[in-house]
Amino acid sequence: MKKVGLFLLAVMFILGVAGVSRAGDTFVDAKKKGVLVCGVKDSTKPFGFIDEKTRSIVGYDVDFCAAIAKKLGVKLELKPVTSSTRMPDLVTGKIDLIAATMTKNEERAKQIDFSYMYFYTEQKFLTRKGTVKTLADLGGKKIGTSKGSTSEQNAKKALPTATILSFDDYPPAFLALQQGRVAAVTTDESILVGLMNASKDKNNYEIPNIPISKEPYGLGMRKGDKNFVNFVNKTILAMEKSGEADKIYKKWFPGKRLFKITDKQ
Amino acid sequence: MFNYHFDWAVVTSGQYAQWLLSGIKVTVELSVAAIILSFLLGLIIAVMRMSHVKPILWFAHAYLEFFRNTPLLVQIFFWYFGSYKILPKVVNDWLNTTNFEFSAAVIALTIYTSAFIAEDIRSGVRAIPKEQMEAAQSSGFSYLRSMYYIILPQAVRLTIPPLINQFLNLTKNSSLAMTIGVAELTYQARQVESYTFKGFEAFTAATLVYLALSVVITWMVTLYNKHVLNPLGVR
Repeated sequence: MKKVGLFLLAVMFILGVAGVSRAGDTFVDAKKKGVLVCGVKDSTKPFGFIDEKTRSIVGYDVDFCAAIAKKLGVKLELKPVTSSTRMPDLVTGKIDLIAATMTKNEERAKQIDFSYMYFYTEQKFLTRKGTVKTLADLGGKKIGTSKGSTSEQNAKKALPTATILSFDDYPPAFLALQQGRVAAVTTDESILVGLMNASKDKNNYEIPNIPISKEPYGLGMRKGDKNFVNFVNKTILAMEKSGEADKIYKKWFPGKRLFKITDKQ
Repeated sequence: MFNYHFDWAVVTSGQYAQWLLSGIKVTVELSVAAIILSFLLGLIIAVMRMSHVKPILWFAHAYLEFFRNTPLLVQIFFWYFGSYKILPKVVNDWLNTTNFEFSAAVIALTIYTSAFIAEDIRSGVRAIPKEQMEAAQSSGFSYLRSMYYIILPQAVRLTIPPLINQFLNLTKNSSLAMTIGVAELTYQARQVESYTFKGFEAFTAATLVYLALSVVITWMVTLYNKHVLNPLGVR
């Protein structure tokens, strides 16, 4: 009997812990605390990565966080997240805002609220030069990506015969490609370009023009956090109008920006 | 307010249950392969560690210190990514056509656990009075034969409780294989979480499976000891 009691206690404990979550009005709470906690990537160039000189996290996503915190009139605190930790971290209140290369999709929108699109890219493959001409060349091969990302799901749909190997992050997936352990790395083109350019032997790789999905990025906020969602949307629309959004894009990406932040989505 | 709706159907039926089942299969394969190999390797290393031949003894010492004192995660990365620099190109090219993620995980788990098992077996051997070895050798048994026929059967019997610990650790450690893309149970649970956002259900299911696996392993090793190694109940 004692054992059964202990077991029940353990179950109750687990359920109790799972029940803890926070929500409320981030717009008010963040102002009260004087700080906005933003979840960003820390190894995904050029969205969020550690600057070698300053040892702090910088990037496109970070600049958007900074602009929102500034408009809110509070200090910005950055917390590194990965594709698989960002949503749990937001829901449990460890962070207030996700700016971590997150694609807007319906499945996710059931759990959290998204801002308007603030970045647009397409999912492609990074491969050794000359090995892949069409999608069929990757059939039955091993393809690396990162856990918990939409890339994983899209790749499975586009290439049912391939084996998808999900690593903890994109750099190990790229290392596996360099060693020939996988035939390709797949994710958003913007991330692939960053991976390729950061490598010493970048001339050995290419990104064939085989898009398998559209990837509009959104900023993530807790479900039903209406005030804050409105505030963030208003802020990024104002950034588009003032030219600040374009300035941030030019800072991190070469070439012309092919999308605009609008409220028509 | 954030309200969590429990949805156990996610993990008990349909596609996601299939994923978890395939994860269980990989975890069992990983664990069974590594348990058998690490036990055999552990026996060999333990005998080497007690050898009187200096180079063999030194090798065993170095092996034990190195593999006991470095993190398993680092060892997994070493066998998967690090091996690339050491192996010749032909071998690498061949490995890349195989299921190398799985083999690398088995190798890492086997070698890591064998170091602990060797030390457990050695302490079991030390518990056998040294006169037995002397008696065996004066009756004409060689060192290896005395070990094989006289000492080790008794020592392994004494080592059963710590061995169970090592096997349980190994089974749970096998979850680290997901860092190199081996689709075992924890990997699949995470997969279910990222597709359905039902992380609580997925990880509860995984936890229960690990618990069940551990109970089965303990039970099987105990039965093996009772009926095969020690049918007379000698202590």
